Amino acid sequence: MSIVTVQLGQCGNQIGFEVFDALFSDSHCSQGLCSKRENEAYQASCKERFFSEEENGVPIARAVLVDMEPKVINQTLSKAAHSGRWKYGQHSCFCQKQGSGNNWAYGYSVHGPRHEESITNLIQKEVEKCDSLNGFFIIMSMAGGTGSGLGAFVTQNLQDQYSNSLKMNQIIWPYGTGEVIVQNYNSILTLSHLYRSSDALLVHENDAVHKICAKLMNIKQISFRDINQVLAHQLGSVFQPTYSGEGSFHYRRNPLGDLMENLVPHPEFKMLGVRNIPQMSENSLAYSTFTWAGLLKHLRQMLISNAKMEEGIDWQVRPPLSGLPTLGKMSLNKEFHFNTSIANLVILRGKEVHSAELGAFKDPALYTSWLEPVHAFSVWKTQRAFSKYEKSAALVSNSQFLVKPLDMIVGKAWNMFASKAYIHQYTKFGIEEEDFLDSFTLLEQVIASYCNLGF
Amino acid sequence: MGRRRRRRRVDPADAARALPEAIAALSQMLPAGPSPETFRRAKFDRPEAAPALWRLLFRVLSPQLADGASASFSLEAQVRSVKLALRTQGYPRRALAQLPDDGSQGGRELLLALAWLLARGPLPERLLTQNRVQLGDEMPVCECEALASPGPPAPSVEADGCVDIRHLQWLMGKLRFRWRNLMASQQEQCALLGKIHSYTRGCHSDRSLGHLSVTETELLRDPEGGRQLLRRLERENARLQAALQWRCRELVFWRWMDTVLGACPPEASQPTFLPRIPTPGAGELETLVRELQALQGELREAVEARRAAWEAGVRGRGPEWSAARTALREAVGRDLAALRRVCERGGGRSLAQLHGPHRLVRTEAGAPGGPGLRAPEVIEALRSREAHLEVVLRQLQGQCGQELARLVGAPPGPVWILPPGR
Repeated sequence: MSIVTVQLGQCGNQIGFEVFDALFSDSHCSQGLCSKRENEAYQASCKERFFSEEENGVPIARAVLVDMEPKVINQTLSKAAHSGRWKYGQHSCFCQKQGSGNNWAYGYSVHGPRHEESITNLIQKEVEKCDSLNGFFIIMSMAGGTGSGLGAFVTQNLQDQYSNSLKMNQIIWPYGTGEVIVQNYNSILTLSHLYRSSDALLVHENDAVHKICAKLMNIKQISFRDINQVLAHQLGSVFQPTYSGEGSFHYRRNPLGDLMENLVPHPEFKMLGVRNIPQMSENSLAYSTFTWAGLLKHLRQMLISNAKMEEGIDWQVRPPLSGLPTLGKMSLNKEFHFNTSIANLVILRGKEVHSAELGAFKDPALYTSWLEPVHAFSVWKTQRAFSKYEKSAALVSNSQFLVKPLDMIVGKAWNMFASKAYIHQYTKFGIEEEDFLDSFTLLEQVIASYCNLGF
Repeated sequence: MGRRRRRRRVDPADAARALPEAIAALSQMLPAGPSPETFRRAKFDRPEAAPALWRLLFRVLSPQLADGASASFSLEAQVRSVKLALRTQGYPRRALAQLPDDGSQGGRELLLALAWLLARGPLPERLLTQNRVQLGDEMPVCECEALASPGPPAPSVEADGCVDIRHLQWLMGKLRFRWRNLMASQQEQCALLGKIHSYTRGCHSDRSLGHLSVTETELLRDPEGGRQLLRRLERENARLQAALQWRCRELVFWRWMDTVLGACPPEASQPTFLPRIPTPGAGELETLVRELQALQGELREAVEARRAAWEAGVRGRGPEWSAARTALREAVGRDLAALRRVCERGGGRSLAQLHGPHRLVRTEAGAPGGPGLRAPEVIEALRSREAHLEVVLRQLQGQCGQELARLVGAPPGPVWILPPGR
């Protein structure tokens, strides 16, 4: 089953390119550490999911590129074509000639409706190329102007047109110290709209990925390209093919559906975070070996202590002892100590994957009281190594990962809103104060629900 | 030529053979049929006969299970499932329900249950139809068969104490996702079937079909699969033969069952076992009947009053009125007929001809096609049924909303905190 990706705005398009590139490179990587037959099955599964076939054999990414100005799209198209290994479809992009003023409300209320038909047609064409549609990825930034507003509109549109298909938004969470003054307004508007029309929000935090680049990959001058590549690596480690079940050697046909069924069935809890281990520069890779026990121990502690990467983990954080109440009342003023999860999905790739011991992730203390570990925890495996890592593990978690950052953004936005600063930029294009209030209400509810997981 | 001809002497040796042959035929035509010796032991209520008969009844009552699937259910689970299924169908004998769950006793009661099932309807024919080997790609057009059978036993969940509503919401959401995943899988299956059908155009020896099905394609690709298919067809043939033999020898079996019934200890006053219908209670039913009768009376009075008023109003009019009146009557008659058709369609009556699975055959657009159903007609019928079900769903949702508001004690209004979903 195939996934159609909608790349929105500068952010979405640049990241989208890196994602397809990472997926392609991995599937054609010679160091899969598995038999030829297995490798071919893996390649075929990845290909069906993310690429379509053309006569001369160059795979075409199943993607629609949307932006309000042509510069980034043209760069993306030519980068892909230059590589010679895969490319974007000739008629898969939509862009306008002029820029757009970087305004969320303009993107949502003006660009969206104006270009709805063209964009919908592009998506429809891409969908028709699929034998069967698994769902949509929508890659976009959260705090941007036009791209985010348009992204919110497009997601809503997909909800209407393809109400039975699954939709996952890949959201780029902005730097805490961002440059755009109204980024917090944009963020809350984007999030609240997406919460209503999307099935799952997979969040990638710029701050976290930046740290990974600096500390783990040892990159001195970190460019957006480096960040996007790390991000693409994380996504690839989640969505490349895995076996469909325990003891099966057929590849899973419905990864989106299986993921969503296990992680986001509750309408109030849709925010997902992703962690993966190990992460290092390619040079260091050759000198490192890992054990599953070590990797999983670190991954578990990353989950519990809400660490973003495998360095600098706080090992003092412990799950609460069963029977005793959690550490005091969860208030956002205090430091969060323990990260309670609703549901977790661990994905293991590489050598001897069947020997990996996952009992520690099934500890009931990790999870909220109303869901048992047997229902809350799932694992996907394949023995085919990912991207030259002999062993690698990824974690997609529906937990309290994002409560603090979300609360910060909502707080800052509220402070600005209280003094009505910059609101006219939005009301000018049809986003009224009520819409802001609705967004605040929804997000406060989400924060409260996640905080109450500890009980 | 008269009575004397019919009273032929029966050869005693034949008579002795007839019963074992009848039971052998019965056992061969049923899935998982035990040996005739087991039947004999069961008549005398020997404990070793019981497990085989429990398993037989389980297979008979859950025909949708694949051949090997019943092995995954423990004997106890099978026993419970059989008891539940029989009760749902209205089986009257209490003694069966009182048999122990471990399946160790009750051969005679089980025989009686089997006979009861056989007597109720064409059980062998139904089982054979359900389990027949299918060469084509079959698509069921209606779900009534699947809905009618009770299905395998579900794991019992203990609800101890209060249930967290978030857990319920989680489960509801999971169920919704599974439905969507199911639909996506079905769409994928359809797309792939379409591909196979169009690729194998012109390959089938039967011109009216024109293309191969998946099974037939596999036959060509894999000779071992072909041999297995042949074996399955031979087994099915053997069962059909057994069914024919059974029909010839049935009478002997029923005479024997009389003796089995006679061998049972007399049961003390047997209260009739009604099938379990989830009604609120007999009292409500009577109230409903009374209300409906009252409503009917009111409607009749209203119609009479209206008619009398109208008659009085038109009495003075001239002869041209009678022509207009006839035309009016005809128009009303047509409207009523149309309304009745709509109601019937909404009730799914026109789908009555669409029972059971049908083989999918792909034809060129505009080609005449063979006998059987056309896809557009089926789609149309299903769409109107869907529309009818949507209306019913809205009504039920409205009723639920009002009921909840009544329970909360507040006027219906938005109290919900959840973000509005679908």
